[in-house]
This record gives sequence, C-alpha cells and structure tokens, in this order.
Amino acid sequence: MIRRVLSIAVIILTALLLQSTVFAQIKLVGVKPELMYLVTIIVAILEGPREGAVVGFAGGMAQDFLLNQPKGITALTLTLLGYAMGLARQYIVSPSPLLPTMLVAAGTAIGTAFWQIMATLLGQYDAPLSYAVKVCLLTALYGAVLTPIFYPLLRRMLEGSRPQRVVRY
Amino acid sequence: MTLVAASLAVITLDYRGGENGPLAGLGRTALTVIVPMQRAVDTVTRPIGNFFSGLAHLPSLAERNRQLEAENRELLAAAQANGYKQGLYEKLSAVLALRSTLDPSAVPAVVTGSGVSNFEWTVTIDKGSDAGIARDMPVVTGTQDGAMLVGRVVEVSTNASIVQLMIDRNFSVAGVLADSRATGLVVGEGEDDMRMGLVEPGTAVGGNESVFTQGICVADQPGLYPPGILIGQVSRTVPSSNAIEESVSVRPAADFSTLEFVLVLQARTSCS
Repeated sequence: MIRRVLSIAVIILTALLLQSTVFAQIKLVGVKPELMYLVTIIVAILEGPREGAVVGFAGGMAQDFLLNQPKGITALTLTLLGYAMGLARQYIVSPSPLLPTMLVAAGTAIGTAFWQIMATLLGQYDAPLSYAVKVCLLTALYGAVLTPIFYPLLRRMLEGSRPQRVVRY
Repeated sequence: MTLVAASLAVITLDYRGGENGPLAGLGRTALTVIVPMQRAVDTVTRPIGNFFSGLAHLPSLAERNRQLEAENRELLAAAQANGYKQGLYEKLSAVLALRSTLDPSAVPAVVTGSGVSNFEWTVTIDKGSDAGIARDMPVVTGTQDGAMLVGRVVEVSTNASIVQLMIDRNFSVAGVLADSRATGLVVGEGEDDMRMGLVEPGTAVGGNESVFTQGICVADQPGLYPPGILIGQVSRTVPSSNAIEESVSVRPAADFSTLEFVLVLQARTSCS
C-alpha cells in the first residue's frame, strides 16, 4: 500500500516538474501539454474509476497550488474526469490499440473545456472563445501524441506497485 | 463523491479567504518545496527545451538546414569554448550591470520554471521573502542600457516567488508612447502582442515607437511600476471601433522564451 502511494506521488511530482520545465518550452502552436490530465486519464483507464478519481484529486490539488487561480478548480475537474474516464473504459469493448490515445484526446478536450467553464463562472478567466477552443483542441492533440510514450511507462509503474493478491486455501 | 465535495469546499474556502486564507499558506509551502526541484530539472532540461522550441520556430526546415550546415562548422569551434556557459555569464553580468544603475535596491533572481497552465503566463524564481521580496513588486530584466518590464510578483514563499508576466491576460500597466507622449493602458493578450488601449483618438503613432511605463497607479489594478521602464515597441495600430479611444498592438521588449535572470525591484508597490 505504501509502495502504491509512493509511486503515485512520484508520478504526480514528475508530471508537475516536466510540465513546468521542459514541456513549458516545447509548445505546439503556443500551447503546452496538460500532463496532469494525461496522467489522470491513463490511471483511470488502467485502474478504474475509483483510483482515477483519487489520482485526479491529488494531482489537481498539487497543480492548483502552483496556479494564481482559486485553488480547487483543477482538483474538481480532474476528480470528475478520472471517475468518468474510468467508468467509460469499463463500457467500451474495443480491441483497438489506439483506444487509450483516443480516450486521452477526448478526455483532455472535455476536461480543459470544463476547467475553462468553471474558471469563467468564478470570474477568473476571460480569454476569447477562439483561444478557448484552440487550447481544447491542441491539448487534446498533444495528449494523443504523448500517450504512446507515457502509457507503457505508467502501466509498468502501476503494475509494479499493485498490491499482491493473497489467496488463502 | 467525497472528493468532489472536498474540491468544492476547497474552491469556496480559497475564493472567500483569498491570499490570507488557510489554503494560501499550503500553496506557499508547496511552492517552497517544488522550486528547488524545478531548478534542478530545469538545469538539465533547458538545453533540450531550447532545442525543440528552436525547431518549432523554423519556417522551412530544409532551407534552414542547408544554412545551418554551413554555419555549423564555425559554431562548433565556438561551442567547444563552452558557449552556453559564456552566454549565461553575459546575461547575468548584463542584469547585474542593470542593477547597479537602478535607483531602488533590486534583488537578482534565477528563473527556475514556467507556469503549469495554458491559461496563465507566469514564471517561478528562486528568491522569496527571505531576500526581501513581497507581493506586487515589479520585475524587470535588461542590460545597463535600460530596463525591460517582465511583470510583477503575485505569490511569495520563503525561498521562491511566482511572477505574473506582462503578457498574462490579467496584467495591465499604465504606458506612455516615447515620441507622441500619448498615454494608455497596456494589457496582456497571452501569446499575442499586448494591446495598448485608451489612447487619445487622432494620436499619430509611429511604427516601432517604444512604449515605457508611466509610473502611475491604475484604478482597480494591483501594482505600481517605476516610470521609464521599457514595455515594448508598437507593432501595428488596431482599427478603432469607436471614437473615444484608439488602440495599438505592442510587441513585448523582453523575450520570455529565453528569460533566465531577472531583477525584482524593491520599490513602492501601491499608491495608498
């Protein structure tokens, strides 16, 4: 259990550090990737809605503390996103290896749109609609491009730290 | 369900508490912890990031490639002389030379990382309240020939601070045009050039005319910037939609993609 918590903490911290250093400079038409969304969705796909929501909340809260916005908006967005994507995965029966990529793209677009709506409702955000749409689409595309790199890495980390099932006779 | 309720509670608490709320303290602690790590990662990854961001800006890869191959031989010799460190040294000495020309005492700081969001334009720096930095202090860069505005401090912990860049959509500063002496309000527009509004109609604005800070407070806007700091150059005039004001686009003077050293001016930060 402790190993599980530690590996998830390492995943969240690494995503935050990469997002604010190297990926802050590697932009796609002026847009950065949303690594915390990517991590939440992949965990939700691999581990289910419960764990997706927990990782979404923890990662969102960590990201919120580095933002100059009311804390909690990203946490709420990613909690709901993690739960929804975990649930969606259980109902999609597809053998396609592209499924995680498509789920990450769709989830990131919906998540960033939800974040912007929340921030607008709280009066913290007033970017033009064209920019809002551009960010949704490009972060989705960026997420889809990064999924083949991050998905196998995260799967290995999560499987390695999964508690061993004890079978008693 | 519990987590959704927790998120909503956090939003409410922070929204009502603002910078004095219980969560602001937690935010400062998070900043204190993350910045040393950010600095370590940035030292390793900055050349990689620079490489990719340079690649993204190439208009035509093939054409540039031919030119670069020709230049490569000359550059290799320079690179062997540790060009990267030399560049850093020159930038730092330029900023320190600027410091000696500024009236208020200024704190030099290293940029350790950028903002994590696509919706705000910030950088983190490695100096905080221990070095005398406080909220709303102006941040500049430049050489001894003149200071260029970078932004203002919005969050401070003991060993790190978050600086809101002037291109952030929530940033505004009173500006004055160098030649026509017309004044206006310069507002950040994200990745696009900034917009200087409220300029008197009929003002003849020249292309590339410089815009400087005016040193006055703007109602409802935080921060007070010393006069005479370069904001940027006029890139184009925006067609006026009404007869009350004129607008111009202003290209920022500071290059935020290569920002490495800044000075935090310990100036007065409010008019009251």
